[in-house]
Amino acid sequence: MNKTTIAILLGLSVSLAFSPSLSYGQASTLTPFDKLPDWSGVWAMQGGTVFDRATQTGTGGSVDIGVREHPPYNAEWEAMYAANLRLRDDNRFPDVQTNCGVPAGFPRIMNLPDVFEFVVRPEAFWILAENGGNVMRIYTDGRALPGPEDRWGTYTGVSVGKWEGDTLVWRTVGLKGWRDKDNILDRTGLILSDASEATVRMRKINDNTIEAVMTFEDSKALTKPWTVTKQYRKSAVPQQFVYDYGCAENQRNPVDATGKTLFLDPTGKPVN
Amino acid sequence: MKIAHKVALAALLVTVTLLAIQPAIAHHSSAGFSDRPKEISGTIKEFQFKNPHSWIQIMVADASGKEVEWSVEWGSPNQLGRQGIRPATFAPGAKVSMKVNVMENGAPIALFVGAKFADGKMLGRYE
Repeated sequence: MNKTTIAILLGLSVSLAFSPSLSYGQASTLTPFDKLPDWSGVWAMQGGTVFDRATQTGTGGSVDIGVREHPPYNAEWEAMYAANLRLRDDNRFPDVQTNCGVPAGFPRIMNLPDVFEFVVRPEAFWILAENGGNVMRIYTDGRALPGPEDRWGTYTGVSVGKWEGDTLVWRTVGLKGWRDKDNILDRTGLILSDASEATVRMRKINDNTIEAVMTFEDSKALTKPWTVTKQYRKSAVPQQFVYDYGCAENQRNPVDATGKTLFLDPTGKPVN
Repeated sequence: MKIAHKVALAALLVTVTLLAIQPAIAHHSSAGFSDRPKEISGTIKEFQFKNPHSWIQIMVADASGKEVEWSVEWGSPNQLGRQGIRPATFAPGAKVSMKVNVMENGAPIALFVGAKFADGKMLGRYE
């Protein structure tokens, strides 16, 4: 055996040693492209950005005084939500995204204005939100969720899912929630904790509508599971473009230390 | 034009109209602004067609005749672009009358409601 042959065999050995984690047991779990549903196109969330419209009381949108939702909060988290509502009513609960520095996270990514693309691939499902340039990844390659010791709480968490016919079912864990007070579900001040987890069932209910049924469990904040349904309508405009969204590009509404949203004149000076 | 095409065109026009009258500002609340539109007229200085909100800079003569630069906030270019608005929609030098919700403290800052150009073309809820 010459030196070249030895080098080739050594290289193959090293490659094989590192490859099992990429391919072991995966091939049989992938749903082939031709068996996946067609969710192509550009989609827009229906209704306003009140996250749980089914339990909304009060008239108007998420920034209007008196509007709130009624998740099955325990007393402690109901009080926290009520405090956020009071700040909202006093115009002192700025949208955390007004600081232009943090992602919307999950589940708020399901509750954004502007448009979405839903990218269906055998090994993953990607939610691409135009607003804020937010992205969510749901892995459908058969991997398991990381164990509790391997989760540290992020805006969007970690998600794995599988296809049940034309329905994508996924589980999201590892969310940071309201832990750092920079992740909300909507601008009423609706929040969940870093113990929140979700199961989502998402499917196309007709040619132009995709529905996501999200059920949340939260041992710190909720007294029972909470289910919220959102729908997304396909744009009738063919070949529509989706654009970027740089929140800091022309930020003339920064937030001061009291939580007040400022308005800047063209020289950058606050006028309120 | 076939009837189906006419129906589709009508539906598209209705959709565009409905989009045009949606509240333009979603990034922050409109607290501190009047909800009764006021008219201002002047000359466009600049149209900042940028995220998260567009701003129309317009020079308006005050009661003494002095020119004051107003800042009028509108929607994101992403939303407005889908409604046919372009950076050239408010070209520098254009004469425009606007309906706006002004800041209640008297600062020359306002939220866009509608506009009418010198050629009579209108945008948003001018009327």
